[in-house]
Amino acid sequence: MRFFRQDLHTLAGAYALDAIEPGSELTRFTRHLNRCQTCASEVRGFREVGTAMAFAATAEAPAEMRDRVLTAAARTRQLPPEIRTHARPRPARTRVPWVPWLSGVVATAAVAVAVFFGFAQAHTQQQLNQAQAQNHTLAQQQARVEAELTQAKQHDQALAQILGAPHVQLLSQGTTKGGVAVVVLDAATRKLVVATSGLPALPAGKVYQLWLIGPVKIVSAGLLPTAQSGVTSPVVATGLVKGDKLGLTVEPAPGSKQPTTTPILALPIPV
Amino acid sequence: MNPNDSDASRFTSAAADRRGERDLDDLLVHVARGDQDAFEALYDRMVGPVYGVIRRVLRDPSQSEEVAQEVLLEVWRTAARFDPAMGGAATWVTTIAHRRAIDRIRSTTAAAEREHRSVDVSPPHDEVAEAVEASLDRERVRRCLDGLTDVQRESITLAYYGGNSYRQVAELLHVTLGAIKTRIRDGLIRMRDCLGVS
Repeated sequence: MRFFRQDLHTLAGAYALDAIEPGSELTRFTRHLNRCQTCASEVRGFREVGTAMAFAATAEAPAEMRDRVLTAAARTRQLPPEIRTHARPRPARTRVPWVPWLSGVVATAAVAVAVFFGFAQAHTQQQLNQAQAQNHTLAQQQARVEAELTQAKQHDQALAQILGAPHVQLLSQGTTKGGVAVVVLDAATRKLVVATSGLPALPAGKVYQLWLIGPVKIVSAGLLPTAQSGVTSPVVATGLVKGDKLGLTVEPAPGSKQPTTTPILALPIPV
Repeated sequence: MNPNDSDASRFTSAAADRRGERDLDDLLVHVARGDQDAFEALYDRMVGPVYGVIRRVLRDPSQSEEVAQEVLLEVWRTAARFDPAMGGAATWVTTIAHRRAIDRIRSTTAAAEREHRSVDVSPPHDEVAEAVEASLDRERVRRCLDGLTDVQRESITLAYYGGNSYRQVAELLHVTLGAIKTRIRDGLIRMRDCLGVS
């Protein structure tokens, strides 16, 4: 296993140069990359070497290309930002120690972690309770909690990244309908994490939707996941611009393209 | 291509590098919001390296133009998926450009002429009207490539500029697959340190 891992690891160079042929090897390495922080940061560094090589190869493009591309862009619809939610972990594939990760994060963003680890704990406790209710054996329960924690760490990589950033800010504001939204902002990467607590429960067919309300445009930042014991698990939103406010509205499921009701929250985001 | 553009010093000092990157990152974030002026500015700064690297890999000018257009349009379309945590905007854009060039090789021409692609190791001299700002980058890259062992240098240029997979590189250089993987990685580590990439 260890040999296999190391063998995979040496592929980081070939991968960064797009020199692995499509197939099972590429799939395996890509999957490995999601789990291996060291490999990911190595690939990032190598990609920058590639960037330097691309700049070194700079050549003058045909002048008529410019108009063609700009015209085509004006007619081309853009994809919305990718919104990752952290609602429901998938079953863990491998066991990874989670304690070192936690201590690393705690060292850099103690407050934020206190808030979010609170959520994580609530989630874990709930899993444990469920397991107990189902009368599983102790060993099974432990394995399950361990798997949950492992998974929480893994699927929360985006979250871990934001919480681990050097200058995160913690913001919070009550909504006009009660309850509170808590935001961890990493201004440097223009990302934020939102979780809420105590929002009123919604009737069937209605959802809470987040918005980035900018000076020019309003962009959806995804739906809040269904609350577990009053708490919604963290949602990551990216692509903040200066002057954005974080808005929250009640929308008909499965969400709207633009807000259709008055925001119950409009929290200025200092980026 | 304004020679006074801050891109000229992109790889000359770490601080300037970071400054340049930040501007480009900023542009890309505005592009993600549908800002066409920002896209125009981004186009002007990135079209040289984008077209250049694609041309280097594909060689054929008209195919290169086609792929470069696709890439720049993809940048517009998917700008919201840019993640600054995964690297700067310049890296994001050139990574897409290189990958699309490789995709093109592997799909169309590759099927017909599955011949191995050799490549001259030195950065190009023969290109028409090379932009002034590229020369600094070219000098640095050349110097750093010169610091590698022959096999490291050849495998990296055959892979990146030549568009060969590491398997093809191994055959071209008569070296085992395992050795090539290691040479490429070791070479990139040295390049990374030499270029002052963090």
